[in-house]
Amino acid sequence: MELISHNDGTWSLNRVSELEYLMLSRIQESADPSGCDEALGRLYPSPVASTAKLDPQAAMSIEEDWREYTGPDIRAGFGKALRTVVSDIASACVEDVDGVDYYGITAPDIHAESWCSALNQARLVLHHRHDLPAEAAEMESGPVSVEWMAMLQSEIYGMLMEFLIKKVLWDQ
Amino acid sequence: MNVQNASVEVEAVPVTDIAGSASLAVPWQVLILDDPVNLMSFVTLVIRRIFGYSEQKATELMLQVHQKGRAIVWTGDREKAELFVQQLQSYQLLAAMEPVE
Repeated sequence: MELISHNDGTWSLNRVSELEYLMLSRIQESADPSGCDEALGRLYPSPVASTAKLDPQAAMSIEEDWREYTGPDIRAGFGKALRTVVSDIASACVEDVDGVDYYGITAPDIHAESWCSALNQARLVLHHRHDLPAEAAEMESGPVSVEWMAMLQSEIYGMLMEFLIKKVLWDQ
Repeated sequence: MNVQNASVEVEAVPVTDIAGSASLAVPWQVLILDDPVNLMSFVTLVIRRIFGYSEQKATELMLQVHQKGRAIVWTGDREKAELFVQQLQSYQLLAAMEPVE
């Protein structure tokens, strides 16, 4: 997989292998924290620091307001980013490179933030749902386990985020 | 209704603006907490985007988060602190706020 930033306000992912495309096409389900309290807690944390020297009632009041007024906005933003990315992925075309089929995806620069958001949502949920370590080198399970596949997916998403940050978003 | 003769008894209740009095008068600080899953480059980018800090300052704060577990990235009034926490959480950074002691 390679990422190219063009001069016309777009970027493209080229030479996306079958496996990489499969991983990308799983982004929506992977970013869904439903049924995983740890992932839900991570995506929608309290706005009050655990170290805050605050009356418990005051902290609870702030958290209740947050859940009612701010949480839905954050949730909506996450959903919007995911829908943008899913749509970009669905528009991928297949290209023949030396007799091997690869996928190609082109998206406008303004979608890059949505991509980073969606990829990061999925990484966070994957790590919490499968209790993954921060680094692949710390993995204990074997390479055919569900956890190992989740780690591979997270690594691919992380690599793509690095590409997008350095080649598209850094100088915007 | 005779307004002139009307008397209204108002029961005295203590005013406890729970979320306000304890908090609006004092400055609040916005914290970013370490999350080993978030990429360092992403954290730096988000700090630059939201606060308009230079690349050097954003990198220093990111490293503080990474090495010390947390960094105070902004201090000021509560309403603005809430806005910054919302923005940071919208980028999935582990952000929170607390009143300055």
